[in-house]
Amino acid sequence: MANARALDKRRKSIRNIKKITRTMELIATARFKKAMDRATSANDYTKRITAVVSDLARAGLEVSHPLLEAPEKTENATLLVLTGNRGLCGGYNGNALRMGVKTREQLTGEVADLRLEVSGKRGISGMKFRDINVDESFTNFDDQPQYAEVELIADRYLREYAAGNLHRLDVTYTKFHTVARQEIVNETLLPLGKLEGADTPVDEEVAKGDVSLYEFVPSAESILEEVVPSSFKIKLFKCFLDAAVSEQVARMVAMKSATENANDMIKMLSRTYNRARQSQITGEIMEVIGGVEALEG
Amino acid sequence: MANIGKITQVIGSTFDAEFDAANMPPIYNAVTAEIDAGGNKRRLVGEISKHLGGGRVRCVALGSTEGLRRGADCTDTGAPVSVPVGDETLGRVFNMLGEPVDGRGDVGAKEVRSIHRQAPAVSELSTSTELFETGIKVVDLLTPFVRGGKAGLFGGAGLGKTVILTELIARIASQHGGYSVFAGVGERTREGTDLWLEMQETEIGTTGRKVIEQTAMVFGQMNEPPGARLRVALSALTMAEYFRDSTGADTLLFVDNIFRFSQAGSEVSALLGRMPSAVGYQPTLATEMGALQERIASTTKGAITSVQAVYVPADDPTDPAPATAFGQLDAFLYLERSISEKGIYPAVDPLASSSRILDPAYVGDHHYAVARKVQTTLQRYRELQDIIAILGVDELSEQDKLVVHRARRIERFLSQPFFVAEVFTGKKGEFTSLADTIRSFEELCDGKWDHLPEDAFMYVGSIEQAEEQAKQMAAKAK
Repeated sequence: MANARALDKRRKSIRNIKKITRTMELIATARFKKAMDRATSANDYTKRITAVVSDLARAGLEVSHPLLEAPEKTENATLLVLTGNRGLCGGYNGNALRMGVKTREQLTGEVADLRLEVSGKRGISGMKFRDINVDESFTNFDDQPQYAEVELIADRYLREYAAGNLHRLDVTYTKFHTVARQEIVNETLLPLGKLEGADTPVDEEVAKGDVSLYEFVPSAESILEEVVPSSFKIKLFKCFLDAAVSEQVARMVAMKSATENANDMIKMLSRTYNRARQSQITGEIMEVIGGVEALEG
Repeated sequence: MANIGKITQVIGSTFDAEFDAANMPPIYNAVTAEIDAGGNKRRLVGEISKHLGGGRVRCVALGSTEGLRRGADCTDTGAPVSVPVGDETLGRVFNMLGEPVDGRGDVGAKEVRSIHRQAPAVSELSTSTELFETGIKVVDLLTPFVRGGKAGLFGGAGLGKTVILTELIARIASQHGGYSVFAGVGERTREGTDLWLEMQETEIGTTGRKVIEQTAMVFGQMNEPPGARLRVALSALTMAEYFRDSTGADTLLFVDNIFRFSQAGSEVSALLGRMPSAVGYQPTLATEMGALQERIASTTKGAITSVQAVYVPADDPTDPAPATAFGQLDAFLYLERSISEKGIYPAVDPLASSSRILDPAYVGDHHYAVARKVQTTLQRYRELQDIIAILGVDELSEQDKLVVHRARRIERFLSQPFFVAEVFTGKKGEFTSLADTIRSFEELCDGKWDHLPEDAFMYVGSIEQAEEQAKQMAAKAK
């Protein structure tokens, strides 16, 4: 049995760790609620856009746009990996990083030139440790990613794509389903492929223009011009939002179990400490009594 | 005319006798008394350990005092307990008094020697620093044994001290040209019998001769009174000393278990009227241990290489008995319960165990560097263990994750199949040469084998066998 003082010291240090994990748990819970609200409101926006697209489709408009078509060749691709800036969130960063590295290996086999962009300090240092060169990195996204900041990145991708310098964009991030379920996914955002709502069947009556629900001003085409890029932007923004929510959930869960583990450990150490202390006292009493007996006898 | 006294008092395993005050037998002399318990006659030998004054002496009984009565005659033998020494003792089994107990009749030794002797003088000592290869990876790498030195196996109950000791006998004695002496001190009688039978079967190298032919065994096991357990190590040592001094051959001395020696001392200590010291041990604990250990020494005439098992009560290495033994040894292996709980045998704690010659000057820079690297990795892993228990492996930095990854493999790779444990592991024993051991651990630390699964490192010899085992495991999984 180790000596009582060492056990007590260890118990104190675990108590301190527990204080940190408990606080982090509370903070994560608060942040998670906020992030969750933002993600839900972004959902409403996405829904509206889908409705607009289906209205356009119903009006008989051929939904076509360069962003939707796959380019003839895919030589230049970009992979964006979303991780967190901070640790203490269980396997969140590690899993995203692992998936990112795996996807990167896959893509390197498929395309000639791959750019790697990483968001989050953890991901950046993880890539650095693995000796993987990161072409661009962002550290400005925390629990509340700003649309304006994401838009800057999105605009750059759109420009590159339009100029023909970028043929494919992949994003690896943690998709948020429910509090109990998050999933590491890799999604191809460019080319967009298909817009949601675009396959709404053409309504003959509406198409003829007899009974129109909406009037498209100046024209349906110009609206499509506007809708497709913002659809991409909102999709990218949604990735960032999902990643942020997932991070907070992961932190909440990880810190909760860490606090529990610390509690268990403190309990165990306390038990050992008490036993060590007691046996020490017993030993000392025995020695004193033994000594007295020996002196008398 | 024999010096005859009378028994005046019997206290447990000690008794008092009164002699003529002018003719008192000196300390350490053996006295005998006839015991007639219900027609069953036997002779009891006692050793004088205290003069009480007025012709009275207090003796430690070296046998059971049952049937001894006050007023019985007690004869001074005029000399300390003496045991037969020489070639005649080889292949025989003795008790602490030097009487054969293997039922093969008289020993017929030409010489007997007192079990109490002086330790060799400083000028006669030789300080060897040659490494003694055992073929056990963890021993050779981290706690290299010294030829002509002393090695200790420390461990709590049931961690495999006796198994390691038997394994070392199987490995060393079977390749060893010189003599071996085994002292069974206060351990199970069954284990002694097992060992005796095994030695009769094992051959020395390819000579066709059995190990037992070069071995003398002395037993004073658990069933014997404390006096016998206190002196049996000295009896065995006396035989070993003879081989060292008279033949100059390399002699091996195995002791299982030196803690029982201290324990027996504490059992009689209070009866001899000494005040108990720390944790109830005898105040002379260090003196007794020192007197024994100093005699187990290599001199200019010959060498005694000794391996001793040391029981650690309640897994507490700070207990005075094992702590006293610590300082006497050149190399010590500390067996750890948490390691044996993981199913890793030998359960040697790579951080608590050490050796005097694990030093670049003796083992060479390369060996030393690899050993330190292994220890640093394991040390870091141990420091991280609390964090892993609370926060999980995922929270570690990338560098630390790698350390943990390798440490877990090193930990398992320190296990090794034993020759004597074939029935338990189902694997043949492995002798791994020192060069292979060093190379294997170096490659492991450098990350050459990071890709193998952890279980592949369990119970193999060199690293190539781990690779082989990984392949087998993969094939089985399919």
